[in-house]
Amino acid sequence: MAKTVLVVDDSASLRQVVGIALKGAGYNVIEACDGVDGLAKLAATDKVHLIISDVNMPNMDGIQFVKTLKQKPEYKFTPVIMLTTEAEEEKKREGQAAGAKAWVIKPFQPQQMLAAVSKLILP
Amino acid sequence: MMDLDPQMAAALQTFFEESRDLLQEMESALLFMEDQGADLERINAVFRAAHTIKGSAGLFGLEEVVRFTHRLENLLDQIRSGTKMLTPANITLLLSCGDHIGDYLDRLVSAAPLDQHFLSEDLRLLAELQAALGAREQKLPISKENNLQLYEHTEASSSSVTEIPADEKVSTSANWHISLRFGIDTFRDGMDPLSFLRYLQQIGDITGLVTLTDALPALPQMDAESCYLGFEIGFSSVADKATILDVFDFVKESSVVHLLPAHSQIGAYLKMIQQLPEADQHLGEILVAVGSLTSEELQRALALQENTDQTGQHQPLGEILVDQKMVQEPVVQGALEKQQQQRESQSAERQLLRVRASDLDYLVDLVGELVIASAANRLFAGQDALEARLESATQVARLVEEIRDGALRLRMIDVSELFQRFPRVVRDTARTLGKDIRLEMHGEGTELDKSMAEKITDPLMHLVRNAMDHGIEPAEQRLQVGKPAQGCIALHARHDSGGIVIEVSDDGAGLNREKIQRKALEKGLITADQVLSDQEIYALIFAPGFSTADKISDISGRGVGMDVVRQNIESVRGRIEIHSVSGRGSIMRIHLPLTLSIIDGFLVRLAQDTYVIPSESVEECLEYPKVQGTVGYMELRDQPLPLLDLNAVFNKRATDESRRNVVVVRHGLERIGMVVSGILGSQQTVIKPLGKLFEQVPGIASATILGNGDVAPILDIPTLIQRHYAISAKSAHSFIH
Repeated sequence: MAKTVLVVDDSASLRQVVGIALKGAGYNVIEACDGVDGLAKLAATDKVHLIISDVNMPNMDGIQFVKTLKQKPEYKFTPVIMLTTEAEEEKKREGQAAGAKAWVIKPFQPQQMLAAVSKLILP
Repeated sequence: MMDLDPQMAAALQTFFEESRDLLQEMESALLFMEDQGADLERINAVFRAAHTIKGSAGLFGLEEVVRFTHRLENLLDQIRSGTKMLTPANITLLLSCGDHIGDYLDRLVSAAPLDQHFLSEDLRLLAELQAALGAREQKLPISKENNLQLYEHTEASSSSVTEIPADEKVSTSANWHISLRFGIDTFRDGMDPLSFLRYLQQIGDITGLVTLTDALPALPQMDAESCYLGFEIGFSSVADKATILDVFDFVKESSVVHLLPAHSQIGAYLKMIQQLPEADQHLGEILVAVGSLTSEELQRALALQENTDQTGQHQPLGEILVDQKMVQEPVVQGALEKQQQQRESQSAERQLLRVRASDLDYLVDLVGELVIASAANRLFAGQDALEARLESATQVARLVEEIRDGALRLRMIDVSELFQRFPRVVRDTARTLGKDIRLEMHGEGTELDKSMAEKITDPLMHLVRNAMDHGIEPAEQRLQVGKPAQGCIALHARHDSGGIVIEVSDDGAGLNREKIQRKALEKGLITADQVLSDQEIYALIFAPGFSTADKISDISGRGVGMDVVRQNIESVRGRIEIHSVSGRGSIMRIHLPLTLSIIDGFLVRLAQDTYVIPSESVEECLEYPKVQGTVGYMELRDQPLPLLDLNAVFNKRATDESRRNVVVVRHGLERIGMVVSGILGSQQTVIKPLGKLFEQVPGIASATILGNGDVAPILDIPTLIQRHYAISAKSAHSFIH
């Protein structure tokens, strides 16, 4: 059974490219366009093994999203990779406090994302 | 451009569309702030747009976009943090930057080269951004390795990756010793120690491995959510040190990772052993077991330690656990929850699905046929006089109509999408003209067909520019007549009797009747003795080559345009009318049909076949006069009406000529009576494109399928009228009885 990765980002093209890379490596990929959508997708999915979330998103940003999901026991141990830019130093701290322990800095190459994901879970 | 597999090409397409949307959002937010002052929410929106474009551009290797947006982001970041102000100059700069990115993407899409113009604009904007930033440029973090990072430890407590100098003699064989102590919170952080070991195998071979369970407490004390494991690993790899360390990037904060070349100097091992929590003797044995040390080396190492370990202050594991225990984030939910509910409803609207336009067209097409078939079905059911059948047929017909409305709505977009580019156009045009003009928009929620929206964007743009250039007077002149100095252009959209009306109005001087008439005379468009209504005179400005501008300006007045505007609007079966009050302003009112795929058709019979005339061009129907006056004309309310026999046009041999009718149709200012064999009434018809074979047949625009399955051509009224006038100019007797 392939592992499922949830990709939360307001950029459809980013989700698409990350999706291509991850699916190519054998992961299942679910997409969400913001934090609110992300929570909805989590609720609608049996098991999500890893979450990739952007920080800066409309409606509900990545920090709030991670905070909210980390309060639910079922996602306590779900690894979260946050996407951010180097211009958002203070967001990194917030993300860390919220429960995200890994981050990838934008812009990144699809292969770099794949490497980051496979460190945490293998397909 | 670049070679991409189909999936990536599709993603790139998404990127282009998404970037255009984002640039548009950015522009709207900037224009709003220029008008209303800066607010954090919009600054954030602008920042987010730049941020998203940059992030996605990187994925496609569009380095130019990344480089450019990076600088843009720097400026935005400073504005956001309050270091820099959002001055009008900065807004103009940001707008130009948005345009520039859009230009670059357009060139990418159309595979147009980055010419001198583009490059000089690039340099200019980068220089301006630099100047606006004031400070030295911030470094772009696009190194290959270094953009995968982990949160650095804020309280510099337990060691992150400790690099122990490998002394001079690094063994040339690529054997390493890795000493791993996973942090107590590893599980809680969502990390699985095993996955790192598995990943490690992807870059080399694990030659030996010992799991350390020393830290494992007795069962009653053990916390199932805590990680107590440590590993000593012999590892053989071609990868360099940085690459191996990189594997543990995500845990280096909470865990202890040591990497040593195998068989390195004893001193190095000793240092490492000292830094690990386990008993020295035990560790040493493990190292031997893993194969990183020989027992001889271990003995030497331990002997050395006797001398150097003065304090022996190994921190007991228990203490470390307490130290590293994560402070639980206090739950601050309450107040946020309400806010969140509101956001959820907004988010629902954002759940959009991208659908291929051709698929949609196909669906709408089928639904159209369904409507027709269902109408026929109902008709036959009615003939049966079986009530239950009629009832169910009626039910089906009603549902089908709902499906039709639903399918048509899929093609609809809000007028706001059409209007959204106008704030920028008005701003820029007003600047060029040196006038102070504001834009008002109403009825943005009105929906219209997407393809129609695309077709009338240009005409609308032209009308707006025209109104700003010719309609709105210079400020001094406005003040003289008691108007406010600031002019106003308004865009209105609304539904109106089965169609859509879009108005462009201005509070300018209004159309000058005399000036138009004089000009039309000069151009030979009218004769001096013609008596014309206001409407007819205003309509003259749509004649080809007509322009009343005293001088040709940049904005409008090149004499091309208004006739093109009319043509464009008519090409989507719309019409435009002008209302104007001298000194008060004018209104250009565009009437558009709701959709392009279904029309109200007026069915006529030519010999045995059915033809469709679009209802909007039909003025009235008459009986064919028994007594003929002049050949090719009939008299209609004391006016001569030219006649066109459609049977003759389409080479039909009509048998029964006793009940011929005349359908009066109008196109623009021209009217004509079309002689047909019979009138069959009006019906909604679905427009079907003609195949290539029939595309060139003059007088037929498209076709439709009737309830009985017959194909009925839809007449192209403008062409028929034009041809008639052209031909009758040559020979007054052709075609016509």
